[in-house]
Amino acid sequence: MAQLKVVGEPVTRVDAVEKVTGQAVYGYDLVLPNMLYGKTLFSPKAHAKIKKINTDKAKHYPGVVAVVTGEDAPWTHGETIKDKPFLAQGKVRYIGEPVAAVAAEDEDIAQAAVGLIEVEYEDLPVYTDPEEACKPACMPIHEDFDRYRKADFIVGGHLPNVAEHFKLRTGDVAVGFKESDLVLEERYFVPIIQHSAMEPHSAHAQFDQQSGRLTIWVANDAPFRALHEITEALNMPKEQIRFINPLQGGGFGSKGGLKVEPIAVALAFHTNGRPVRVKFNREETFISTLTRHEAVVYCKSGVKKDGTIMAREMTIYWGAGAYAEKSPTVCIRGSLPAPGPYRIPHVKVDGYAVYTNKPVAGSYRGYGIPQGAWACEQQMDELAKRLGMDPVELRMKNIFVEGDIAYWGERLQAVGLKETLVKATEAIEWGKRPDQVKPGVKIGKGFACIQKPTRSPTTSAAGVIVNGKGDLTVLAGTVEIGQGCNTILSQIAAEELGVPMDKVHMHPLDTDVIPFDASTTSSRSTYHMGNAVRRAAIHAREQIAEAASPMLEAKAEDLDFADGKVFLKVQPQMAIPLGEVVRRKLGADGMVRGDGSYTYEIAKDLDLETGHSDHASAFYMYATQAAVVAVDEESGRVRMLRMSAAHDVGKAINPLNCVAQIEGGVAMGIGSALHEELVVDDAGKVRNPSFLD
Amino acid sequence: MKKKIQITLNGKSTSLEVSTHRLLLDLLRDEIGLTGTKEGCGTGDCGACTVLLNGKPVNSCLILSGELDGADILTIEGLKIGPELHPIQRAFVQDGGAQCGYCTPGMLMMSKALLDENQNPTEEEIRFALSGNLCRCTGYAKIIQAVQEAAAILRTR
Repeated sequence: MAQLKVVGEPVTRVDAVEKVTGQAVYGYDLVLPNMLYGKTLFSPKAHAKIKKINTDKAKHYPGVVAVVTGEDAPWTHGETIKDKPFLAQGKVRYIGEPVAAVAAEDEDIAQAAVGLIEVEYEDLPVYTDPEEACKPACMPIHEDFDRYRKADFIVGGHLPNVAEHFKLRTGDVAVGFKESDLVLEERYFVPIIQHSAMEPHSAHAQFDQQSGRLTIWVANDAPFRALHEITEALNMPKEQIRFINPLQGGGFGSKGGLKVEPIAVALAFHTNGRPVRVKFNREETFISTLTRHEAVVYCKSGVKKDGTIMAREMTIYWGAGAYAEKSPTVCIRGSLPAPGPYRIPHVKVDGYAVYTNKPVAGSYRGYGIPQGAWACEQQMDELAKRLGMDPVELRMKNIFVEGDIAYWGERLQAVGLKETLVKATEAIEWGKRPDQVKPGVKIGKGFACIQKPTRSPTTSAAGVIVNGKGDLTVLAGTVEIGQGCNTILSQIAAEELGVPMDKVHMHPLDTDVIPFDASTTSSRSTYHMGNAVRRAAIHAREQIAEAASPMLEAKAEDLDFADGKVFLKVQPQMAIPLGEVVRRKLGADGMVRGDGSYTYEIAKDLDLETGHSDHASAFYMYATQAAVVAVDEESGRVRMLRMSAAHDVGKAINPLNCVAQIEGGVAMGIGSALHEELVVDDAGKVRNPSFLD
Repeated sequence: MKKKIQITLNGKSTSLEVSTHRLLLDLLRDEIGLTGTKEGCGTGDCGACTVLLNGKPVNSCLILSGELDGADILTIEGLKIGPELHPIQRAFVQDGGAQCGYCTPGMLMMSKALLDENQNPTEEEIRFALSGNLCRCTGYAKIIQAVQEAAAILRTR
């Protein structure tokens, strides 16, 4: 392999300067000419029939341009289950569900008019516990579940409020428990949390009656999914809808899917061509966008005296909230690896995604992995304690290594888990008794291991343009949500074409011109889009080499690229700048465009009965993190003293960025473990929709 | 109620007619068009809208426009020194202090307020000064490192 020049280097972020100067324009900052301001009426009821809506007073309020309800927007959407209306239709299913919206000349007018909309409700039973909501006597939150359009793999509806049921069956757990010396069963619970990206949610939409085109400006991390869903819902040709992504102020999973977008679209059809902006404030973002799934996890394990795990049985109730959103796939991809990264001969998992009358749960950093790991890793510690074994030793005995057949039937490759376990625990001096700091305070150490699949198979496509100055423009649909993709993809393009980083520009994201990408989710982008950009760059490079061949009187395969020039491998001084090749071949304004696409095709769908696949994921992520905490025995207060994180990242395209991502993830994990919970009471009301509580 | 005010905004004297109840944050973003100052919560909890008012850091979402006559306001758009990045901005670029960047303007303004007062802050003092500024991306480590480096550069001046 040739020496890498840019890939693997700790390059500083390409978007840092615009971000430290305040020049960066986020979705929340965007102002369009002649724009109207939208405000939303949210349901105050967790589960109720809508008897009547009266919008007359709102419509006649001075300065109001449009008022819309579910009747004006008779469309539904959803990624795998089309269950979610643009605005409530006939009933509401959670407190915070958009019921109506107003577009007006300013935000104060819109808010005042929202207050004039009268809605009559008739209460229905409220379900807030995912374990209870699927009991046979429960009333369905979605009466029409059977009639919804769904993806082929959806297995739901056989129990009340179950949107998806994932099954994993390996060996026979009854036999495994019988052969065990110790069997342990516990119930674990993981509460709801909210992503709390620092930029709240917003969307702008404009419908041009002349051309029939609908344009949506939104910081959405899966614009092509959004495009597809809006297209299907409205039954409009795809070419008539355009998504433009301003910069996104964080996401962590909350900004995929459609939340504010449908409200803005519903209004835009009634504003005579004027664009409308709908912003959610922080409270609205807490109650009416997305959350992380709460989960009730039953975990039963059987082990031999020597620590060999014989069987593990898990039942997981994923609280989906009022609409399916990502719940089916969180249920599948969260339940599959929930028994942990260990060799276990007998495994049974049942995962249920259950509708409740709570805010909608969606993807959240880790995509269903933290919930399973929270249960499984605590149980591993308890098993070790009862066996009188060191918890590290118990893991070491069972942990996945290269070539193992996982309990879902796949031969595992590139498994760096053991090394992460060793490194993370060494870093906190595992095994060394901590010094007592002061009386009444105990020091504790702990660690956990995870495995995480990525969404597979998926596709990313990209373009790389080289102009007459030798500058590159990369067209990629990966959304810069803070994770650093613009830097990483620039590095990959720069590497392949041998140009310095400052010659590479990322094209703004616009679905009219940017090639398709599945989504900026699931830790998939560096691998999938990285390969697509690389292929596009190679395609551009081939065309330039072809064009340069007669200029340098050499065969294309005898040419190489570096320092912005194409040159003869054997005679590097025989060189032409890339831009000059383009100009001489295509004229001063000519451009060479390379295209590339990457699909990880080997991955196969899971068998619906057994959950098995001989290739379930393009790759797996492995990590161990370890912590040292001080616990005040009297108050119970926990203080973090030290945290170590060891991740098998493969080849780091940008080590600085990798460390930054892990540090941020660790902080978010500490918050999740010790501090955060979106508290929803029995009536379905969020009690703490602010940063303060 | 409308009121005429005279302010110094990013070093420039400016006359404005404002609605007295308008928040400084909205005045900056919606009326003047300076969207570098970010809205994260609108209730004074997150620090994303931090600006310097007469040299002191404030949450601009808690300040009414009617109170501003005669005020000297510095926003992120005025932090550069001529065409050059301020040492705090440079340190954030080099150390990876910004990821999504949405909290960054507020972080930088709060850091400037700290370093204007104390050019040799301890890590504890930096953490305390920035404790009202939330960041969801970085885990704060690189932000604190950037402030320390900026302080070191400022001390040599």
